[in-house]
Amino acid sequence: MGLNNFLIEVDEKQVQWSENMTIASLLETLDNVEFCSVVRLNGKLVSSPKFTETIIMDNSKIQLLPLVAGG
Amino acid sequence: MDQINLKETKAISYEKAEIKKGYTDQSLRINLDAADIIINPIEEQIKNKFIGGKGYDLWLMWNAVSGDTKWDDPENAICISSGPLGGTPGYPGGGKSIVTSISPLTGAPIDSNVGGYFGPYKKFAGFDVIQIDGKAKQDTVIFIDGIENTIQIFEAENLPTDSYELSDVLTHHFDQDKPVNVSVVTAGPGAEHTFFGCLNFSWWDAGRKMVRYKQAGRGGIGTVFADKKVKAIVARYGAISMKANNPADFDALKLVTKTHAKEINELDPKQNRMALVGTTHLVPIMNDHDCLPVHNFKYGSHPESKVIGEEVYEHIFDKGFDGCWRGCAVACAHGVKDFSPFTGPYRGKKVFVDGPEYETVAGCGSNLGIFDAQTILEINFYCDAYGLDTISVGTSLGFVMECFENNLITLDNTGGMDLSFGSRFNALEIIHQMARGEGFGAIVGKGIRQMKKIFAKDFGADAAFMQDIGMESKGLEFSEYITKESLAQQGGYGLALKGPQHDEAWLIFLDMVHNFMPTFEDKAEALHWFPMFRTWFGLCGLCKLPWNDIVPEDNKNTPEPAKVAKHLGWYADFFSAVTGRKSGPDDLIAMSEGVYNFQRVFNLKMGYGTREHDTVPYRAVGPVTVEEYESRQKRYDEQLKEKYNLDISSMSSRDKVAALRQKREEQYEQLKNAVYERRGWTQNGIPTVATVKRLGIDFPEVMEVLKKNGVE
Ligand code: SF4
Repeated sequence: MGLNNFLIEVDEKQVQWSENMTIASLLETLDNVEFCSVVRLNGKLVSSPKFTETIIMDNSKIQLLPLVAGG
Repeated sequence: MDQINLKETKAISYEKAEIKKGYTDQSLRINLDAADIIINPIEEQIKNKFIGGKGYDLWLMWNAVSGDTKWDDPENAICISSGPLGGTPGYPGGGKSIVTSISPLTGAPIDSNVGGYFGPYKKFAGFDVIQIDGKAKQDTVIFIDGIENTIQIFEAENLPTDSYELSDVLTHHFDQDKPVNVSVVTAGPGAEHTFFGCLNFSWWDAGRKMVRYKQAGRGGIGTVFADKKVKAIVARYGAISMKANNPADFDALKLVTKTHAKEINELDPKQNRMALVGTTHLVPIMNDHDCLPVHNFKYGSHPESKVIGEEVYEHIFDKGFDGCWRGCAVACAHGVKDFSPFTGPYRGKKVFVDGPEYETVAGCGSNLGIFDAQTILEINFYCDAYGLDTISVGTSLGFVMECFENNLITLDNTGGMDLSFGSRFNALEIIHQMARGEGFGAIVGKGIRQMKKIFAKDFGADAAFMQDIGMESKGLEFSEYITKESLAQQGGYGLALKGPQHDEAWLIFLDMVHNFMPTFEDKAEALHWFPMFRTWFGLCGLCKLPWNDIVPEDNKNTPEPAKVAKHLGWYADFFSAVTGRKSGPDDLIAMSEGVYNFQRVFNLKMGYGTREHDTVPYRAVGPVTVEEYESRQKRYDEQLKEKYNLDISSMSSRDKVAALRQKREEQYEQLKNAVYERRGWTQNGIPTVATVKRLGIDFPEVMEVLKKNGVE
C-alpha cells in the first residue's frame, strides 16, 4: 500500500495521514496556525484544549477555523 | 381583527430631504409633552465630528439632558439613528440602528446596536436621527411615513400588550398591502415593570410572510420608552436600492458590496456556518475553553452544555433566509417556528421564536444551570415578547440563584419559589412576574445593583459576598463570557464606557489562548484599538459581525489577524464610496476616537466616568470561594508558585484564595493605569485637555465638565 492511499483533507488540500495523528501533531506541520484554536473535524467542532487528545482518522476532513472573535 | 383604536393628536406634512452621500442632514424631534414635531438641520461641523449613528445620538442627548437628569425625567431622550452607510442593501450587516438614552440601570448614556429595518427606513423618510423626549399622558404611537411624507402622533387604545402581537398588528395596520414597507419599534409589559426593558425592532420576513424582530437589549432603553408611554414608533418606506443613499461613487460601492458579500457566501460555509447556526457555535467553543458562564459565572464549562449548542439548534432552527438586514449574506438571525410554550399567556399556542443567540443560550441556559434547549427557547420568546433584555435577565437570575443556594435569600423572600440552579419553571415564573410587576420578579427586575442593596437591607444578606458575586459593573449586568483567565477582557468589560458589554472589545482568545499581548502595554494597545474600531460600526449604521466572524482565507498570514486588515480596507472603501470622504483604515479609527472620548466626558457630566466606576466584581477576576478555587486548583496553584513566586506548601485553600486575589486585583489596577495612559486620560480616567483638543471635541461645554472635575 503506497503512502498516497492515506490522505486527509485540510482546508480542501490533501495532506498525508499517519497513524496516531492528532490535531496538535497535524498543526505542528502547518504554517501560520498559531491563532488556530478551533477546528472542524468531520463536521464537529474541536477546541484547542482537546487538540492533543483528538486522534484524526484516515480520510478525515478538517477545516481550520479563524481566530475566535466573540459575539 | 384590527380592533385597535388610534386617535390622531398631531400631524404634519413635510418636504422630504434629498439624501446626499448617505446623509439627509436633518434630525427629527418629537416632544411628547407638547406633542411637538420639530425638524432641524444638522450642521456640517457636527457631521464632521460625530459622523452619524451613535455620534449623532450622543450629541443630541448631550444637549437634551443636564448633569442632574435621571432616566425617568421628561428631558431624558431616546435617540435612534442609522448612519451614513446604513441602508445599503446587499452590504453584509449594512442596516443597523443605534439607540441611546440615559439608562435606568447605570444613570449614564447607554447605547445599543440593533437589526431590523427601522433605522434605514427612518433615514430614507428624511431623518438621519430621531429624538423622542418629554412624556405622553396617554399611550402613544408615532408614525413616520416616508411614502406620504407625513408624521403623525396618535393616542392609542386597545393595543395588544406584548411586542410579539403588537409588532404584527401595527405592521398590517400601517401597510396592509405591503407589510415589507413597515418597521415597528416596540417594548412590552416587562419594559414597564423592570429596569432592563429592551426594544424590539421589526422587519417583514418576505419568505415566511411574517413579522420578525431583533432587540436593542442593553441598559433599559425599553424601560425609558415605556415610561414615556410610547407604545410604538413606526417607520414606513418603499423600495430601496443600492442607490438609495445617493452614494458619491456608485461603481465603487457596487464593487465593494459585491466583493464582501461574495467572500461571505464562499467562506461562511467553511468557517463558522453562521447562516446555519447563528452564533450558537460559540457554546461548545466557550465551554471547551472554560469560558462559558455556568452557575452565575462560577464555572466555565459543564458536560451538559452539549445539549444547548449548535449541534442541537442547527436542527431546531427553521430553514430559510435569516438576514436582519436586506440581503445580508451572513444571515445569522435565526428562529424557531411552531414553538409551543408550556407556561404563560401563550401556553399551548404555536409561536415563532426569534433566536436564540449565543448570549441568550449562555445567560439563560448554562448560567442558570438550565441545560434544556426548549426552556431556553421559551425564556427567549417571553423575554422578547415582554420587552426584557435576555442578558440582564440571565445574569440577574444567576445572581439570585447563587444567593438562594447560599441562603442569602430564602423561600420567605422569593414567594415560596425554589430558585436553585436548574429551576426551569421558577425561572420562567420570575419572568412572568417581571412582566406583571408582581412578586419577587418585581425585585429581580430592578437589576443586580439594586438587588444587592435590597437583599442586604431587607433580608440581612452578606453585602460583601454579594459585591463579589453580583456580575454588574456601572450598574449594567455582564454579558456572557468568563474572564477570569483574561486580564485584557476584564478590562474589556470594566473599562467599557456603558458597562460590561463585549461590543467594545472581545480579547479573550488573543489574550488567554494565544498570549498575544503579554505586557500591560500590549493589553492597553488592544484596549485602545479595538474599542475605537468597534465604535466605528455604530457611527456608520453597520453590524460588526461581517468584519471578523468570517475572514479571508489568507488572513492568518497577516501580521495581526485579529484586525482583519483586508476588511478594514473594504470598510474604508465603503465609507469613501458612500460619503465621498476619501478615507483609509486609520481615518476610521480617528473618527471613532472623538466620539468615544466624548462619551467618556458625557459619563463624567452625569456624575460617573472616573476610575472608581471602572471596577468589576471579583467574580470576573478570580475565584471568590474556596469551592471555586478548588475546582481549578492545579491552574491556580501553579500561578501562585510560578507566576508570583509564592511558597504555598503550608497555605490552606482559603489563604490561597486571598493571596491570588491580592495579586489579581493589583494587576487589574495596573491595567487601568496603562489603558488610561494609552487613551490619553488622567490616572483618574478622565480625558486630558490635550486629548480633547487633539480630537477636536474641545467644545466649551466639554471643557467646563473637565474643569469641574479638576482637569484643566
Ligand atoms: S450579520 Fe447577522 S446580525 Fe448582523 S446584520 Fe447580518 S443577519 Fe443581522
